[in-house]
Amino acid sequence: MKFIYRIIGCILLACSLNSCGYYNNMVSLNEETAEAWGNVQTAYQRRNDLIGNLVKTVKGAADYEKSTLVDVINARAKATSVNINPTNITPKQLAQFNKVQGGLSGALKSLLVTVERYPDLKANQNFLKLQDELTSTENQILTARTRFNGAIKPYNNYVKRFPNNIIAGWFNFDVKPYFDAEAGAEKPVDVNFEF
Amino acid sequence: MNSILKNTLVGCLFLLGIISNYAQFTIPPKPAKTTEQKAVYDYADILNSEERQVLNSKLIRYADTTSTQIVLVSIPDLKGEDIGVLTPRWAHKWGVGDAQKDNGVFILLSKNNRKIWISPGYELEQYITAGQAGTIVRNVIIPEFKAGRYYQGLNKGITVIMQMLNGTFKGNLNNNISNENNEFPIFFVFILIVFFLIIWSKKRNNNNSDHNNGKNKKSPSLLDIIILSNMGRGGYSGGSFGRGSSSNGGFSGGFGGGGFSGGGAGGSW
Repeated sequence: MKFIYRIIGCILLACSLNSCGYYNNMVSLNEETAEAWGNVQTAYQRRNDLIGNLVKTVKGAADYEKSTLVDVINARAKATSVNINPTNITPKQLAQFNKVQGGLSGALKSLLVTVERYPDLKANQNFLKLQDELTSTENQILTARTRFNGAIKPYNNYVKRFPNNIIAGWFNFDVKPYFDAEAGAEKPVDVNFEF
Repeated sequence: MNSILKNTLVGCLFLLGIISNYAQFTIPPKPAKTTEQKAVYDYADILNSEERQVLNSKLIRYADTTSTQIVLVSIPDLKGEDIGVLTPRWAHKWGVGDAQKDNGVFILLSKNNRKIWISPGYELEQYITAGQAGTIVRNVIIPEFKAGRYYQGLNKGITVIMQMLNGTFKGNLNNNISNENNEFPIFFVFILIVFFLIIWSKKRNNNNSDHNNGKNKKSPSLLDIIILSNMGRGGYSGGSFGRGSSSNGGFSGGFGGGGFSGGGAGGSW
């Protein structure tokens, strides 16, 4: 009888050690997704900061259409109000984040289109630099999103597989959502003008 | 019957391959040997072999002294790709710069699209912000390109990038460089000042720290030579110092695996 207990004990121990390994793998994969998400947020944050400068610069230009500016300011306020906990990203949260940031991209686009009509602004060195920064940031956002999806993939693959999914269930390692293309922002905002 | 089916299938796959090739630019695989991982890849054939060598050796020597790898690539066509996306992706794929320092710079030029883009590695973004990269392109490179002088534009642009990275760039991008010819004496004085500043700071560095083992001590004045030999001269004579053994070679140790965030700036001419 003692012998059987020992065997059962050994099996239990082996199982728990084994699940330790699974658990640790999940933790490190999860960390990578959190890091990738951090980069996504940094890029978006940077865009928000730049938009603040853009609004200031454009406001300085005489009799600039106020409505497009107000749209951008509102969209920006909306975008900054959505925050996501990186360790627990739900599809709903991500969809909402995507939506508000997409709204900001759209507003920004129409602002930059209207800017075309202001030759003073287009010749302004500071404005040109700001445009470079914005383009750069849009590309950074695109890159960060792609890399975030890239980090999610191995995590999801790992968590979904048997028997990992059982262990993942115990420790609440849920499958994470991918970034869908932002509505109307599959391509970065085109702020290139003819030089 | 079977063979007909097979042939059509192969034909279809072939066509598909052509279509997908046409629709997208395929980044060439990273050169396998480290000796082939050099600084200038002129796929579009815009430079002659001497110009290529001069630029390559200038960039290799810069990497030897600073460990910052600057890579210049020209391609014939973007094939519908966005240059601002392609440049950092290519740079990241090849891993230009050191893996820890992320200190690469990637310059991509597309001949048919008449576009050029500069993407700095993660750690260099603070020295070459997108605004600065865009200004270099607008005010230094493109005026030369518009006159059809690819080499002069690239050479001047690279020199300004190096100065920015060294923190020695003190010129005013808007006025100085675009009409350099008229202001040669001023420029010469400027070179001298930079020269002395570099020597002075090098001396201080050498006194302060002993951890620069070998690499830096071996060639304390290389950087000065690079700057002296390439600044203000503009023309073909620019590289007469540097026809050394490294003129056609690659970066020592090859690309280091540096990362890129996707940022950068450029323009078209």
